[in-house]
Amino acid sequence: MSHSGIIFPGIIACFAVSLTATVIVPNAQLGSLSPEFKEEDGRVVDSYPVADVSLAARGKEVYVSQGCQSCHTQVVRGSDTADVERGWGARKTVPRDYIFENPPVIGAGRLGPDLANIGSKSWRNEPADDPYKPEKRDADWQMLHLYHPTAVSKLSNMPSYSFLFKTHRIAGSGDKDALKGLPKSLLPQEGFEIIPSADAKALVAYLLSLDRSHSLKEAPAVAATAPAGK
Amino acid sequence: MTEAAALEATPSHSPLDAAAASVLAPSRSAIDASVRPVVIGLFLTATVWLLVSTILGALAAVKLHHPDFLNFSFLTYGRLAPAAENTFVFGWCGAAALGVGAWIIARTSGRVSPGHTLAAFGAVLWNGGVLVGLVATLGGWMRPLNGLESPIASYLMFFAGLALFSMWVLLTFHDDEHHSLAAMFIIAAFVWLGLSLLTGNLLIVTNSVTGVVQQIVAAWTAGAVTRLFLVPLALGAACYVVPKVTGAPIIAGSFARVMFWMYFFCAGLSLAAKVPGDLLPLWLGATAASASILIVVPVAALVYILLASAGASHHGAGSPSLRFTIFGCGGLVLSSLLIALASLRSVDSVVRFTLFDAGIQSLLVHVSVTMVLFGAIYYMMPRLSECEWLSSSLISFHFLGAAYGSSMAVGMLLLSGLAAGEAISEGASSFQQVMEVGSSYFWGNSISFVFVLAAHAAFGLHFLLMALKIGQPAGEPTLLRAGSEH
Repeated sequence: MSHSGIIFPGIIACFAVSLTATVIVPNAQLGSLSPEFKEEDGRVVDSYPVADVSLAARGKEVYVSQGCQSCHTQVVRGSDTADVERGWGARKTVPRDYIFENPPVIGAGRLGPDLANIGSKSWRNEPADDPYKPEKRDADWQMLHLYHPTAVSKLSNMPSYSFLFKTHRIAGSGDKDALKGLPKSLLPQEGFEIIPSADAKALVAYLLSLDRSHSLKEAPAVAATAPAGK
Repeated sequence: MTEAAALEATPSHSPLDAAAASVLAPSRSAIDASVRPVVIGLFLTATVWLLVSTILGALAAVKLHHPDFLNFSFLTYGRLAPAAENTFVFGWCGAAALGVGAWIIARTSGRVSPGHTLAAFGAVLWNGGVLVGLVATLGGWMRPLNGLESPIASYLMFFAGLALFSMWVLLTFHDDEHHSLAAMFIIAAFVWLGLSLLTGNLLIVTNSVTGVVQQIVAAWTAGAVTRLFLVPLALGAACYVVPKVTGAPIIAGSFARVMFWMYFFCAGLSLAAKVPGDLLPLWLGATAASASILIVVPVAALVYILLASAGASHHGAGSPSLRFTIFGCGGLVLSSLLIALASLRSVDSVVRFTLFDAGIQSLLVHVSVTMVLFGAIYYMMPRLSECEWLSSSLISFHFLGAAYGSSMAVGMLLLSGLAAGEAISEGASSFQQVMEVGSSYFWGNSISFVFVLAAHAAFGLHFLLMALKIGQPAGEPTLLRAGSEH
């Protein structure tokens, strides 16, 4: 029997099966997802997710360009993991969360924490009762963290993104965006200040926009149980 | 001349070759001469990419424990890691695989290649794609698609290069019923890679698929480069080199062919497993996991058949080609077992997103495929450059350095991933505590690169000498010590 005669049709058939099962059918299932709407009296009062056209959209480009996705995921996994318990999100993420992202930045691995909900006020990366837990992770905190991670997170293994900042001479009353709360060792010389570049501002806007905790029917938000804290 | 030497010698006189030579018009040396410039050129560029990617990989490894080492925007871990991996996969493995594939097809078809223009253009485009990908990734022009980080231009160059190169290979391909398993693997690998590079990248770049499906398509496309191009090509190369060196034909030919089809069918369905299960339709996650487990059967069966065939012969002891190839084949079996293990739900929930994944990828590509490619190059170069490798000590050094170094890196990544995964499953710990657990292994990973880099540099030097025809006179093969004692 000739085996080689069927090699081309055979391999194309295997390819077609693979394409159908892995791409075509899943696309029919997931590609048609739309935002979940809530209506009251015929009016849409709530819609999630929403397409992002703000500074944050530029920030996503900076995030990708800097390769943040090599170390940070944006996927909160389901109940057989501790992702929700860690404080990375109020629920697992699902395909509907990403319908406006082409492509979604789900990330390659976790050498750093998951950032799917880093913009959410309840996001945390340590037990809820950890004495070193920062009060809030707002724009100022994010800026400092980008500039010198260990200044705000002592054991951080993240590299400094100081090249997204510029040191320049203070003019007039100073730049309103200049870094605040720098530890002494990092203060610039007298008369100078450190200001974020446009890229750094966009990146922080993007990080603060990341909040996928909105409840969905296929993934209702579950209250993050406070860990016992050992 | 020992028996092994007779089989490894440049003008090969194995019983198989003798029989084949009597019925085929062009001599093997004429076939070798017809592909020589293209294949040696590809190996040369592949070796350069091997060294470049190993240096980048070493730098990325250092950054795991010293994140601010050489802290420039173009050298952050985020850019280095994908740049190193893609240069390794497409630059080293890809270019070497094209060369190995073309030569084996020409040899098994018994035809002289007509001209070099198509192949030369193809090889230049392929290497151009690697360069564009490397520069773009370090420069920050990258996409958040795992395994497909380089810009679309890079993949279009790969596709165009592969298409031209495949045309050249197909011109020599002689399709008849006596076709060898090696040629089947190689042709199938070329066809699949071309189809998936084109389909996957076009679906993404035209936004024909959106949202999570783009990541599924990326996993399907990038996964195919490894599992449906490099691994089948390595299996094909092993199916050619092992019987040639040992002089024993592959036993269970029909069964091996069934395993061939099973491999392609299962591997084709396994690729979505790279995407986290919560983002996949339930049935797809289950299908991909089952296919990942089933792959163990054809890989283990094919490697067993090869080893059994080799074991039945007393020839080939001391052959460097055989040693590298068998080591790589062992790695293929081990990595398919680990892929199966990691696809179990209970294991996946622990190791997903840790360096365990990187460890498996490393075992598959940096150890298994790479060692088989080295084996094939050690076999081919004496025939292509008509002289023998200069030094058996240099080959031994290369083997030991590459085997210990890359195995150590794999071990460290797997252990680090397991430790971090266990720690991350414990919600009451802070993330910094999790990273501290995994980071104990990062130093070991960096140290392993010292061995790997030294080994690959030795290979690079040895290869360069061969390309310049500086070696021992043709006829007496360069064997490792174990063989020369017989």
